[in-house]
Amino acid sequence: MDTSDAYIIRPNHRHKFKPAVVRECIREIVRERLSAAKYDPKEVSEQSRSLADCVRDKVKCAGFDRYKLVVQVVIGEQRGQGVKMMSRCLWDADTDNYAEDVFFNDSLFCVVTVFGIYYY
Amino acid sequence: MRVAGNSSWRRHLGKINGFSEPEKDPKRPKEMHSDRDSEHVDNSVRKRGDHEKKHRGGESTERRHRDIEHDVKKEGENTRGRRDEDGGNAGRGKESSQDRRRDKESDRQKRIDRYEIEKKYVDDHRENRDRRRDREEHHRDREKETHRDSKKERTKGSDRREDREKREERHRDREQMERENKREKERRRHERSGEGRRDEAGKHHREQRDPQTERERHQNEEDRRDGGQKRHEDRKDSDRRQRDFSDERKHKEERERRHKERRHHDERQGLKGSGEEVRHHGDDRERRDKDRKHRDEKDTERKNQERRGKEEEEAEGKHKHRKHGEEDDAQRKHRERKHKEEEEEEEVKRNHQDGTSAKTSATDNVMEAEEVFSENWRHDVKDKEDTEESLANDEESAEQEYEDDFEDYEDDFEDMDEEEEEEEEPLHPEEDEKKEEISPQRKKEIEAVQRAIEEENERVGTTQIRPRRNREEEEESQKGSTGSELNQRKVSLKGRFMDFVAAKKREVNKQVATKQKKRSTELLRLIDLDFSQTFSLLELQPVNEYDMYIRNFGTANTKQAYVQCNEDNADRDIQTEEVETCEKWTQHPPERNRACGDPNLSQEVQDTARNAINFDSKRLTSFLRSASQVMVVLLEDDRAERNSLRKLKTHADTLSFSDGSLQLNTTLPFLHGRHISLVHFSQVQRHTMMSVHMRMSKAGATLFDSCTVICIWNIWEPSRPQKILVYESEVQCCCFSPGKATLVFAGTSVGSVVLWDLREHASDHYSSIIEGEEWNFRQPTFSTDAVLACSGHSSCVTSVEVLPSSVIGGQRLEVPLLSSEDSSGLSFQLASLDENGVLNFWVVVELSKGDEAGSLTDLGLRPGGKVKLLHSARLQTAESPSPRDAVKTGPIQTMLFKFLPTDSSHFFIGTNMGAVHHRTSHGLKARPKSYRFQEVEVRPVDVSSLHFSPFKPHLFLVGCGDGSVRLHTVGREQPVAQWTNSTAGEPVVSLQWSNTRPSVFCVLDAASNIHIWDLSKNDAEPVFTERVHTDRVTAMAVFGDSSSQTYSGSALAHASGKIVLQYFTGNLSVSSSADEEKLENLMTEAF
Repeated sequence: MDTSDAYIIRPNHRHKFKPAVVRECIREIVRERLSAAKYDPKEVSEQSRSLADCVRDKVKCAGFDRYKLVVQVVIGEQRGQGVKMMSRCLWDADTDNYAEDVFFNDSLFCVVTVFGIYYY
Repeated sequence: MRVAGNSSWRRHLGKINGFSEPEKDPKRPKEMHSDRDSEHVDNSVRKRGDHEKKHRGGESTERRHRDIEHDVKKEGENTRGRRDEDGGNAGRGKESSQDRRRDKESDRQKRIDRYEIEKKYVDDHRENRDRRRDREEHHRDREKETHRDSKKERTKGSDRREDREKREERHRDREQMERENKREKERRRHERSGEGRRDEAGKHHREQRDPQTERERHQNEEDRRDGGQKRHEDRKDSDRRQRDFSDERKHKEERERRHKERRHHDERQGLKGSGEEVRHHGDDRERRDKDRKHRDEKDTERKNQERRGKEEEEAEGKHKHRKHGEEDDAQRKHRERKHKEEEEEEEVKRNHQDGTSAKTSATDNVMEAEEVFSENWRHDVKDKEDTEESLANDEESAEQEYEDDFEDYEDDFEDMDEEEEEEEEPLHPEEDEKKEEISPQRKKEIEAVQRAIEEENERVGTTQIRPRRNREEEEESQKGSTGSELNQRKVSLKGRFMDFVAAKKREVNKQVATKQKKRSTELLRLIDLDFSQTFSLLELQPVNEYDMYIRNFGTANTKQAYVQCNEDNADRDIQTEEVETCEKWTQHPPERNRACGDPNLSQEVQDTARNAINFDSKRLTSFLRSASQVMVVLLEDDRAERNSLRKLKTHADTLSFSDGSLQLNTTLPFLHGRHISLVHFSQVQRHTMMSVHMRMSKAGATLFDSCTVICIWNIWEPSRPQKILVYESEVQCCCFSPGKATLVFAGTSVGSVVLWDLREHASDHYSSIIEGEEWNFRQPTFSTDAVLACSGHSSCVTSVEVLPSSVIGGQRLEVPLLSSEDSSGLSFQLASLDENGVLNFWVVVELSKGDEAGSLTDLGLRPGGKVKLLHSARLQTAESPSPRDAVKTGPIQTMLFKFLPTDSSHFFIGTNMGAVHHRTSHGLKARPKSYRFQEVEVRPVDVSSLHFSPFKPHLFLVGCGDGSVRLHTVGREQPVAQWTNSTAGEPVVSLQWSNTRPSVFCVLDAASNIHIWDLSKNDAEPVFTERVHTDRVTAMAVFGDSSSQTYSGSALAHASGKIVLQYFTGNLSVSSSADEEKLENLMTEAF
């Protein structure tokens, strides 16, 4: 305990959060599950929740060790309105990253964002 | 001090449990028992905390844990163990001695507490001291009083003791009253916070005052009796035992109640100053209630409560926990002791008396003790800087301080009393040392554990109304174990049972938390956290209404499948038609009569089409050309006719031979002021005439002033020249091409032969607008200037002649005026003679196609020109004259030459020797070699003119510079006829046969006399001699068409520059058979 600890403050490059991989995961899931979906305000909350879980599980399997994953799913109806979504993070830019993918179909849009925060 | 306290506490840990045994006395009411039991639990918890602390002295964590486990076990067995240990306890005496020791310890603790408080009121200290002094004085007074009383009593005797007692009582009452007054004042001060409870406490105070006075009375009695200390000690235990339980119960109940109330109060009020204040008030009140009756008990209680309050506030203060536990014990012991004392009043009296006597003896020590305290206090101030510093306490606290001090003095007495017991203390140092060996880290851990236990403890104590702040703290430590915690709490609620496992767990959690905290702090140094740039996750532009409509309704029943516009020829369904291509060509201006064509058509069709077009086009152009010519000529002719008729009437007298005249319009700006050196008619196109206008002597304003200008005229179109040719140097001679007058050749004074192709398009030549009219000036098509220097002429070219073709002979005359004959591909030869007798032959070659860029090989050829000259032969005609002649005449100059019209190989050259040489081009022998005057000797006379008769080709006239005119036949050296004085000695300038009459010829001499000879009428002199005085005639040419014989005349160029065509009268123009006969006669006559 009183020995000076050696911390791993950088992830192994193989286990580093790779946005491209994650984006592919997101894309796959979202396409599969939302391509035929129509916006329904009753279902959409459950839909987004399950989508987030699904994405999280999938990304977990991608082998990003020591990463805390935060999955945010936003599903909105498309009625010709303007939408602008931004995000900002306080994090360690060396290790942490995010991946996002946007999906549109005729009735809805879906933004899935996965933030990977490194556990030191 | 603290160390000693801890260690001693430890020694008696086991006995504490045992000590509670008497409470289990069956005599005791059940209720009380339970109360005490619960209290005991509290105490035992505190004890455990203290117990833990003992192990600071270098003990390993393992051991500590074992101890904890041990304790837990112990706790579990608590009740049983207590009974067991009860039996194991030694005698009561021993207990009492231990109690005392504990008392002493508690006293020390009290002192510490006091110092703590004192420290808080450093400023008040001085004031406190002053008050203390007052108190001390008062104390002394009281003691004196007691002494006095005792003396009196001694003197009076013990039988009168009761009276004395009464008196004493009175004294005491009085003292009591005084104190009461003081206390009342204090109380009033505290009233604000004390209020509700004070009434209660006040009651209690009054209740208790009586026993107290009683006791004091007994004390006095004891003084008198002078009971020994030992005795007192012996009795003490029994006293305590005999103490009535009702009293005790009452106290306890009150204490419990107070305790709860205080807790409650604390919770209600703020946690710091106000709570403390309340506590102080409570303490004060309690103290007031009890200080006389059971001083020890009160002190301990007060301290205890005080400490408890503090503990609630600052759970970190470990020493206080320890004290707390100790104090509880001590309190209990004291209570026990007091009970016993009160059971036996007499002994109590004695005991008190001892105390008082001890007090008296200790009076001297008061000052000392105070000093010691202050010293200690100073130390403590340093030690306990981090203890609470509440500013809420002021005078009240100071007051209380005073009281504390006051009571501490008495505690000191006890210390002195119990000094004998201190022999046991030396046992502790070992443990002390151990304790000191504990590392601060370990200490922290232990403290943390204790804290957790403390919290647990508190939670148990105040299950119902738990302070919120505790929850916050707990939440930190609880975390994982909340579930079990809840259960435990329930359990503890029921049985007021401590779950140490939960506490431990919480502690472990806390450790983990701290570890993580440490980890995070260390890591945060290594890591840079920064704000990421703002990621734009989604940006969706609002869709305007139209797009929305289109999206929703516009394409309701349609679907846009593909868009294809053949740009990239994508593989999908090209919807545009196949592109058909067709090659066509077009040409402007049309080439070979075709303006457009299609290469895909068959050759035959193409050819036929072309031929058809060709014929049409060619015929059209030729027709238009000739027709336009005819029209122009007719118009001009008509006008000229009318003009001439008018002139005839007006100028009839001008020329005798003239039947009329036509003036060519030479009043052109660029011809103004020029002399006409030469007038020449085409042999074929009789109406085509050219006039050579010499260049001006001085450079004028106009462009071509320095150039020789040649005008090509159509005599039927006199208004303007048809073509204007320019050349830079002087033109000596010129001639037309044979056949159609399409080419003009000229010999120049610089030795070059130049050629103009009149067919060239006007746009190829320079044109300028002069005085409102556009004139086209043609530069030579071909020039031999310098290009052919080696083979050309090196001196002035005197004559240029076209070699006559032998075949055409007499057919030349029949060449139609407007011939449709294609002149292209014409081929003839040109000869040029210079002054030195060099005769050059040139082949005129017409190129099939002109080169607009100019030719590299034929540098003399104008760009675009189609006709050029090829040098074919060079002939030196000037024979070196016989030495005899040369002496006389000098070098022979060749003046002019003519070809024999019937044979181009024979040519005749006029020289400056008056003779005409006969030469042949192919080296044939020609007879005679030359034609001379009738006189034998050679005269240096220039042959100025030589002309063959158009009707009799073997006859030719020679005009000489001396004015003589000779008629020669080709076959004879001697002339047929010779007229020497016809011109009155004037040099003959020009001499020409008439084209219509064979016997008529015209002679122009230098004096501007025109002589017209008609040999048929007069073979000795001219029939007409006309002298033009006003405007000298510089050149003359005869024109006329022998075939038609409709007109003939002579063109006279005047010095003024005008050209006048004089038509011969009918007798001169119309030929007759007599003319030829006359000529034949002349020839026969001569030979």
